[in-house]
Amino acid sequence: MRNLTVDLELRASLVATGWQTALFRKPSISLSSPAVQISIPDVVSIPFGSHSIPVRSFDFGDEGDVSSTAPRTGKRKLSGLATKTPLPPQARGNSTRLQAPHDVIKLKDRLFYALQPPLETIFSSKSLEFPFPPFPYQMEGVAFLFTRQAAMLADEMGLGKTMQAITSIRLMAYSGDLKNVLLICPKPLVTNWQREFQLWAPELPVTIIEGNGRKREWLWSMPEQPIKIANYELVVRDAPFLKENDLEFDLVVLDEAQRIKNRSSATNRAVRSIQRKRSWSLTGTPIENSADDLFNIFEFLRPGVLRGELTPRRLRLATQDYLLRRTKDQVLDELPPKLFRDAQLSLSSAQHQSYTLAEKEGVVRLAGLGGEVTVQHVFELVLRLKQICNFDPATEESPKLDRLQADLEEVAASGAKAIVFSQWVRTLRRLKKRLHAYHPLEYHGKIPHRDRDKVLTAFRDNSEHQVLLMTYGAGSVGLNLQFANYVFLFDRWWNPAVEDQAINRAHRIGVAGPVTVTRFITLGTIEERIDEILQQKRELFETVLADRESPPSLGLSQDEIFGLFSLPNPISGQHAA
Amino acid sequence: MASRPLVRRKPRDSLPADDPQLCRLNTMTSSRSKLLPDIGFMTVVESTEHGFFGGYLVLNHTGRPLEFHCTAPVRPNRAQEILYGPTLKPYLIGEQIGQTLWSQTKNPPSVICTDMPEILHVRQFSKCPIALLKTNSTAAAAEPPSSVSSSSRLDPPHPDTNAPMGISLCTFHTGDYTLSVAESYREDEAVVQEQYRLLGDGFDLFEPFDRIHHAIQEAQQQ
Repeated sequence: MRNLTVDLELRASLVATGWQTALFRKPSISLSSPAVQISIPDVVSIPFGSHSIPVRSFDFGDEGDVSSTAPRTGKRKLSGLATKTPLPPQARGNSTRLQAPHDVIKLKDRLFYALQPPLETIFSSKSLEFPFPPFPYQMEGVAFLFTRQAAMLADEMGLGKTMQAITSIRLMAYSGDLKNVLLICPKPLVTNWQREFQLWAPELPVTIIEGNGRKREWLWSMPEQPIKIANYELVVRDAPFLKENDLEFDLVVLDEAQRIKNRSSATNRAVRSIQRKRSWSLTGTPIENSADDLFNIFEFLRPGVLRGELTPRRLRLATQDYLLRRTKDQVLDELPPKLFRDAQLSLSSAQHQSYTLAEKEGVVRLAGLGGEVTVQHVFELVLRLKQICNFDPATEESPKLDRLQADLEEVAASGAKAIVFSQWVRTLRRLKKRLHAYHPLEYHGKIPHRDRDKVLTAFRDNSEHQVLLMTYGAGSVGLNLQFANYVFLFDRWWNPAVEDQAINRAHRIGVAGPVTVTRFITLGTIEERIDEILQQKRELFETVLADRESPPSLGLSQDEIFGLFSLPNPISGQHAA
Repeated sequence: MASRPLVRRKPRDSLPADDPQLCRLNTMTSSRSKLLPDIGFMTVVESTEHGFFGGYLVLNHTGRPLEFHCTAPVRPNRAQEILYGPTLKPYLIGEQIGQTLWSQTKNPPSVICTDMPEILHVRQFSKCPIALLKTNSTAAAAEPPSSVSSSSRLDPPHPDTNAPMGISLCTFHTGDYTLSVAESYREDEAVVQEQYRLLGDGFDLFEPFDRIHHAIQEAQQQ
């Protein structure tokens, strides 16, 4: 261990610092005022109180009452409606609403339609009754027509365009929108319309324009008769009278409106000259040949809607708010099927000889005409050959008739009825002789109009008459023959649309079972060539109309007609049939 | 906010005699009770894009429209959504939109039907009975047998419910319909029953709401 010694004696001395005086000096005091104010916080006021909400109000009062309880046209009151089918309220699940067309601009007018009850409720509230409950698509058709100043109902044949038009007219008569309606139809259909009005709107008085000039003038001038029915020919004749007397109609309806497809025709001009507030057209074939057909019908409906170049897209857009078309496939799930079968037959030897000779001579003659040849010359040859395909001119042999007889035996045995179509009255008369066992009836241009209804009634009601012989012209439009389940096309028409119209006389609402359509075609003949062309056109037609696309030409063009005999067409691109 | 909650009952004789909206209620029990009634239908359509649209349609006994009113879209802001919480819809629909629509009435109906519970709040501003229409499927399970009235209180278990805040309902059946009126206006039940009887079974009480929806859509497009 090591010892450490430290000396702790420290020395101290005084030092003068000069601080003494400072100790006796008074301190100086100064005040400072720092800011202690706190800023007032911002307040966000959220308005919770009442503030005015903009409201748009529409008072409908008594205007446009589609729910009144009695028709406002005519003087006759509701009667004879008791035994029919009332629509249940709302048709329990079906609710067909009125929708304003695009050309209704004012909001109040658009709301007027949007706020109406469904059609089913309107009919129910008025106790309007129907002989049969309408299909939902038919109620949609009524709603479509009811709201439009210009409308084309182009449903496929058999879907009930007549009923839809009459029901719309009935509803508008009750709402006070119509007091004076003119319905124009082909002459053979006048009585059919009269019957349909009796069926679907028995309380509406109907006047048929007929008789001599003085009587017609008197009928035209009867203001208390709200529904007038006239045929196209009479309208052409009486158009000057209507104009001179300044007669105006609340509504003009054209049935089979394809009758005015030619703009330059007297019918087209006469119909367009009628003064009217609303224009409707009904047709199953709005386009028979080309887009011009549709254009010319629209010149009646809404002049000026279709203008300029009619491309398919423009045509569809321009017409879509005015045109309603449904097909059976779209709307009738339960309609029995339409069964097609082609009876392809060989000519008899005598027929074959006649046919070959006629064709050779005809083609030589056509070739000899050179540049002078016209489509009319070709038509004549086609018709001649088609007649030979039906019957041999010398022997009257006819494999078609043999086949028809065989088929009719079966039809008759089942208790069914059949309609046989031909282009010619002469052919039908030959058939009548050979088919006497079935007590056939005739319906064609040679049967007076006054007798035609009796023919149809007898065919419908008398089981003895199992066959009805019709020409395409007389039997293609507007007739309801749904009690026939067999249709035979003894020879073929030029245009599939006309054939369809004929077939749909039988295949329509109310038909009890499938409709079998037999198309007779003789092999190796002009019929087979025409059938090939028609088949292609039918496929195109179905494609186009399904999509509402480009309306094609459905008839045979001149090129196609000349092509039947491998002849060049002196003037290309025109439609002939 | 509401000047008087529905849970409190205001004596009917306290209604101002010169109230321009005085509806037929006062005369229903008198000689005019046999007249065929006009019916109002009030609803609100909610659009995620625009907000709430109110629609009010008055029909005559055949279903014909007499008048129609619709509001511009009303959209609450975020602050209102937070602060009002579950009371927002009853306030907005019942007191703001509903009251505004009712104030436009030119033809006061006998009864107003609604498919929105919040509209029942309008009753405190109107003299007209307001009936909430329920679908049978939603009402049947909990309801007593038909023709027997019952009372229930709708207290929303959480803010998302559509039930009106704090309204006790008096529920009853008429025709094929289950209807409710506010318990505080229980006597409305008799009026509603009587007016429906006058209208007849064929009158569809649901259908007019479709019309209002279509009309609002149409108005919105212009």
